[in-house]
Amino acid sequence: MKIYLQLGLILLAFCVVATALLAYVNTLTSPQIQKIKTLEAEATRRELIPDSDFEEVNGEITYYIAKDNKTGEVKGYVFTAQKNGYNGTVKTMAALNKDFQIIAIKVIEQTETPGLGTNSTQPKFTDQFKGKTSEQLIVDKDGGVPPNCIKAITGATITTRAVTNSLKVSIETLKKQVLARTALTEKTQAEEEVNK
Amino acid sequence: MSFMKELTKGIIKENPTFVIVLGMCPTLATSTSVNNAIGMGLAATFVLICSNIFISLIKNITPDKIRIPVYVIVIAAFVSIVDMSMAAYLPALHKSLGLFIPLIVVNCIIMGRAEAYANKNNVINSIADGIGMGLGFTLSLSVVATIREILGNGTWLNIRVMPQTYDPMLITLLAPGAFITLGLLMALMNMLKEKK
Repeated sequence: MKIYLQLGLILLAFCVVATALLAYVNTLTSPQIQKIKTLEAEATRRELIPDSDFEEVNGEITYYIAKDNKTGEVKGYVFTAQKNGYNGTVKTMAALNKDFQIIAIKVIEQTETPGLGTNSTQPKFTDQFKGKTSEQLIVDKDGGVPPNCIKAITGATITTRAVTNSLKVSIETLKKQVLARTALTEKTQAEEEVNK
Repeated sequence: MSFMKELTKGIIKENPTFVIVLGMCPTLATSTSVNNAIGMGLAATFVLICSNIFISLIKNITPDKIRIPVYVIVIAAFVSIVDMSMAAYLPALHKSLGLFIPLIVVNCIIMGRAEAYANKNNVINSIADGIGMGLGFTLSLSVVATIREILGNGTWLNIRVMPQTYDPMLITLLAPGAFITLGLLMALMNMLKEKK
């Protein structure tokens, strides 16, 4: 009996040391990792809609309104969609124009199978999203009809579904959010007119 | 055994993939392109060397009965520390190798060498064993990946080697193709050995 208690305690000691080390490294690295992530997200937004300033809007999903950095005209919206893929969360950043058509997408975070699911980051895959509306976001294997659908990556249908379906859901939510916001602004403007 | 002998045994005589048949899961997953194979191989080599050093250092204070859980704790903690520090301080390297880190945790070569070698030998020899096994793993992964990438994609290290008209054998990129390639290579290795 005593020996088992002893073994348990030794194992516990190893765990305590390992956990303490991990916690320490985590406190050292997490602010730095967060900083890099924020910078990267900003760079990706600029890449998707160049020459713009971004205004953050929080709600059910957080999105950014892209405004031309000279004229201030609204060019579109940028948001991040995420869903579980084959091996973890797949995060995709997408830019929409004012009519909610996709301008470009970029898979920013994924841990899919190297050589199969990782092909989702390739332009060969992401380029087919250009110009699509949320109705056209359906994977060909789920009954989509070319060219109004997304062609699945060979050997990575689940990854394809994660990207496509997460974008579809997020675009629809975003649409509602943007329309509600516009309605609200118009209402306030109208009220101001009346008050004058 | 001398340092050099320990170093070279992992490359052919005790090749982790073809002879000891360890680490099959990452082998199948990352041998779809030579790029991935080298990335995985080098990342695994690094972790293998470090975990061998660690295990060898603590071999006298680890009770025999609970050595396996201790290895699991040491390896998992070590891999997480590498992952976090790399993400924070070497973001560029983390982008290309970060994908393989979670795969290394489940790589049984590391566990296998801890149990079969580092546990019984001194630190210097364990380092040699780690380097040798790591290089052997990288090499055999690259060989499998070379065959799979050329046949399945018509490229080698992303450079086109097959004529444009070549219709890629997609199956070599999928899991069955990995098993077939691996099986044929193992048969070849055994045939060469018998002849000797």
